[in-house]
Amino acid sequence: MNIRTLKAVAAGSVLALGLVSGAANAATADGTARATILQQVTVTNTSDLQFGTVAIGTGGGAVTVATGGARTCATTLVCSGATTAAGFSVSGATGMNVAISVPGSVTLTETGGATMAATLTSSAASLTLAGTAADAFRVGGTLNVGASQAAGAYAGTFTVTVNYQ
Amino acid sequence: MRLPKFMSGLCLVALGLAGPAQAAGDLLVAPTRVVLDGARGTEVILNNIDSETATYRVSLEVRRMNADGTLDEIAPEKATAAETQALNMITYAPRRIELAPNQPQAIRIGLRTPADLPDGEYRVHMLFRAIPTARSVTETQTTDTGLSIALTPIYGVTIPVIIRKGALKATASIGDARIDRSTGQPELALSLSREGNRSTYGRIRVLKPGKSTPVFEVRGVAVYPEVTKRAVSFPIDAQTAAQLAGPVTVQYLEDVDAGGRVIAETQTVIR
Repeated sequence: MNIRTLKAVAAGSVLALGLVSGAANAATADGTARATILQQVTVTNTSDLQFGTVAIGTGGGAVTVATGGARTCATTLVCSGATTAAGFSVSGATGMNVAISVPGSVTLTETGGATMAATLTSSAASLTLAGTAADAFRVGGTLNVGASQAAGAYAGTFTVTVNYQ
Repeated sequence: MRLPKFMSGLCLVALGLAGPAQAAGDLLVAPTRVVLDGARGTEVILNNIDSETATYRVSLEVRRMNADGTLDEIAPEKATAAETQALNMITYAPRRIELAPNQPQAIRIGLRTPADLPDGEYRVHMLFRAIPTARSVTETQTTDTGLSIALTPIYGVTIPVIIRKGALKATASIGDARIDRSTGQPELALSLSREGNRSTYGRIRVLKPGKSTPVFEVRGVAVYPEVTKRAVSFPIDAQTAAQLAGPVTVQYLEDVDAGGRVIAETQTVIR
């Protein structure tokens, strides 16, 4: 964490130097040194959204991974494997309020072309950064498996953004 | 011809079967807000804080604020004339950058305003995100009867880029300050009403009589022109909730570098 903060300051200093040197041409030589430290933000992905492996038993149904990571599996399905919610940690200036956007739904596509829909939920719609491990949010989801869903590997992407106001 | 096609098919399957992927694309962006009120542009720094080389993409998008303060992305074809105008006025480069770990890159932002641009506030949001890399096969699974699922997050940061032209004014007022306990976690909730032709931006703080330092303060709260009133709520701990109860002064202030002016102030009793 400290290393990241230091690097942020370093990046800010590079820009500040450029700005200051530009202004120095017009200024009188009074020997004042100035540096601008820019407010920065970092976003880190700490875990992926894992539904584990799902097999169709007696029919279709829903598999839900809560934002806490726990799985709920329809009785018509057979679920196995470890599950996790997607995790993201945010760091930035303490006290800053940021909004979080997560799409409501996502479509997964199997290599043969079959598709499956999932809905997504975020543990928070906004965060006030406190400079602690609590500056994080998780994304869970519900996968809707059809009764005649083709077996195979389904892949999809979803976009999560941390929005400064 | 046949062999490469066959091989690319194999690779696609491998992508889907990949197990837990290593995070790639962690990023740092500074500053977190850009206001352009003259002809001059600026720069934003993007840094790869991951341990691997990553490719990042920079883009502009339209976002609108909702009454709860969230920012929804709006498809370009649904943008208003003013939003499209804002997209067209901002130039930026580079748009696609490959960065080694801890390598910063400046993104130059330029402004191209038409001479007949009507006075007003124009805004777009600049999105910085990593392009996901192909995942390596870390485990093999047999999926004769089962489904394996790989959902890859594409994650990033958006910062507002605001263009102001002409003498613009806005006033705001604070209402409904209270402690909301409906969700179990106490929250300081209030509403911000805005009037005028520009956004307001700043920090909210709560002062108690007899205390020299604010008992609560949060920064980076905007009310954009598309909303006249928005709700604001901040989770607080029980200790802060106890401190807030009683007579208070709630202030909405501009940032110090924007003048530090009090935008709105109200005296109320928080319960």
